[in-house]
Amino acid sequence: MSALKRYTKPVDGTIPVPALLYQDEDLLASQDGVGIYDGSQKSPQHQSGSVHVSTLRLFYIDTSHPRSRSFALDLSHVCRTDYWAGLLRSSAKVTLYLNTLPSRSVTAGLANAPDSRQDAGDGFGVWVCEVCGNRNPPGLSPSASVVCGLCGVPRSAVPTVAASSTPTAQPKPRLAGETSHLSSSLPSSSHHLPLPAEPDPPSEIACPACTFLNHPSLSTCEICGTTLPRPAHPTARSAPPSRPTSDDEDDAADAADGPRMIKISFRKGGDKAFYAVVRRSLLDKAWEGPKPRRAPAPSSQEGTRAATPNTLARSGINGILQDVQTAAAATQTTMEDALQDLETLKVQAREMVRYAGELNERLTALSAAPHAAPGGAPVEPEEATFIRASLAQLGLQLPNAPVTLDMLTDERRWHEELARELAGVLQGAPRAAPAAGMMRRRGIVALDEVWGGWNRARGVALIPPATFLLVLPYLPQCTAPPVHARTFASGLAVLHTPPYTRAAFSARLGGLLTLVGPRTTVEVAYEEALPVGLVQEMLLEVEAVGEICRDEGEGKVDVFGGRGHEVHWCMNIFLSYVWDGQD
Amino acid sequence: MSAPTLAPRTTPSGYLLPSIHSAPPFFTQQPNPNTQAVVTEHWTKLILSYARHRRLFMLRVEDAEVAGNDWDEILRNEQIHRRLLPSHLEHIITDMVEKNRAVYEPARQTRSVLLYWRTPEEWAEVLHGWADATGQLNTILTFYEIIEPPVPSQLSGIPMTLLRKAISVLAKTSRAQIISVADGEGVRLLPGNSSR
Repeated sequence: MSALKRYTKPVDGTIPVPALLYQDEDLLASQDGVGIYDGSQKSPQHQSGSVHVSTLRLFYIDTSHPRSRSFALDLSHVCRTDYWAGLLRSSAKVTLYLNTLPSRSVTAGLANAPDSRQDAGDGFGVWVCEVCGNRNPPGLSPSASVVCGLCGVPRSAVPTVAASSTPTAQPKPRLAGETSHLSSSLPSSSHHLPLPAEPDPPSEIACPACTFLNHPSLSTCEICGTTLPRPAHPTARSAPPSRPTSDDEDDAADAADGPRMIKISFRKGGDKAFYAVVRRSLLDKAWEGPKPRRAPAPSSQEGTRAATPNTLARSGINGILQDVQTAAAATQTTMEDALQDLETLKVQAREMVRYAGELNERLTALSAAPHAAPGGAPVEPEEATFIRASLAQLGLQLPNAPVTLDMLTDERRWHEELARELAGVLQGAPRAAPAAGMMRRRGIVALDEVWGGWNRARGVALIPPATFLLVLPYLPQCTAPPVHARTFASGLAVLHTPPYTRAAFSARLGGLLTLVGPRTTVEVAYEEALPVGLVQEMLLEVEAVGEICRDEGEGKVDVFGGRGHEVHWCMNIFLSYVWDGQD
Repeated sequence: MSAPTLAPRTTPSGYLLPSIHSAPPFFTQQPNPNTQAVVTEHWTKLILSYARHRRLFMLRVEDAEVAGNDWDEILRNEQIHRRLLPSHLEHIITDMVEKNRAVYEPARQTRSVLLYWRTPEEWAEVLHGWADATGQLNTILTFYEIIEPPVPSQLSGIPMTLLRKAISVLAKTSRAQIISVADGEGVRLLPGNSSR
């Protein structure tokens, strides 16, 4: 019997590999252009395909017959690997040596149809934990789905599962198969395992301290945490009497079964990288236990039960409480660290401020000294020049320093100072280049843009919007031509120069409409060289006072009954109209 | 394109359309309430004047929805490719009812109106004058005889509702008396002080 048939499960290769994975399984690497050797012989049906390795399994997807010839191999079967780099026309090969399968499981697995074995092994379907009632989702790998995701109690009351503490001796597919046979009681003909001999006595264990009847798979009391009496099996490894022990495995069978190895031949390279991934995946042994995040921090009392898997150590309410405590402790530590950092930062910041003040005083004194002694040479020490230059680079140069509240005491004066600064931003400093200033070229700017631009110019000590609005009334005094604020009906606020008051714009618009007839908003915007949205607001304002009216053109008579017509603006012809039709 | 080029023109039915009917904005419902008031006023005048010209008594919102009815000449202007939208017409109709220039007919709906290009009071005078001129005072007339007289009159085709209103106006001043006759209702018009 070939190794391929015994160890692999057929998969449907037409399904993309990521869809074949369990939820807790990750795809690690893929390589195409490979062939498979069954033992030392080429397997004729598997000569052109691709291999994919995940944390749990190795997939072979056949290129020509993906549905019938693809298979998956559980990495838990692999006990050793070998790598051969290839020579001349022989391509590189990776050899996977497989451990022995228990003979009974082999026959059982073959007696079962492969599909029933897969159904059972995959553990698909939602199942409810008997202990905590948690509904476990489907799609987890066999090893993860045998324990409850919340409380960590094994899936069924059958103590068989506790034997998962010896993963290598007890291959997984068979284990999962048994579990599901017993729990779901499939009417399977191959169900030849006798039920546990003593069904009742081990089902509930009375706690010596509080007398609570505990679930048999718990090692400590669910209520008080007392260690439960387990005279025969102190580590909860209560194997059922009927369970075949691993001693059953006889190496003699191997000879009849043929070599226990599979070779992967890499015809298109990629062998080294792939081999490294397979090695890593094998070392991780992801199939042995639950994901690391589920395992609680090892406590001292667990030392005695090193062999016990984590699933048992954290089962029951104790386990849940332990998890919560660990998480809380971690959060606490992180928070304390962060707060300590903050305190340190505060202290240092205070010193920085003090140093800066001292430095500034010293520099001022130095720069004042040459003026006091005009005859003397300007002896500014090199250090001072350097520091001054650095300050300038950092944006701390005094002439440009933004006005802040602590510079001035009076709030009104502060607003005036701010208005003067804003005027500089808008219209440029008196001696600056004409292009400088946000409103040098534009007569009307939206308020939000001004606010953003001003704060960008300040860089530090940003002005809150409320203060910004308080400054605006002082702006006309500081600007030439005066800049006023205006709010449109929609709530859009703008700053504008005199040519953009409503009256001025209205007059200009009137001239345009009289001269060239109705215009659309876009055409007016083009004429004014302003944003369309802004012009729309201005037009609505003029319309509100009744100086213009609109032609929506919705009444347009066209064959399609369409209404795709832009609004045209016209002078208000109605106000001066005198009836000239029939009475 | 601009305002000065607009001019009145005559329709095939011989109605002189005002120049404003050729201005595209006239067909748009203006958001500015003041402007719209002026537009509505002009439309009301146009509708009533045209109704008088064509002796039309009813106006429906549907008339603005589909072409091919009595109102096409004023609700549409093919030359500038504009038509009055039903929503706009409904607004105008509402305004007309508020100002007693029309009344919803039938009542309790807002999509069709009876136009008052003559108010019921004016119709009452017309009726009385007609009866007086044709020498039918003091005789009993059925409504049918008034609506479809052998010799066409100003009252030919007047809606029954409007006729009843006119008669009730006359009845208030004791110039008419409603009488039940064999085949429905009749009215006896009485000579009275026609100056009031």
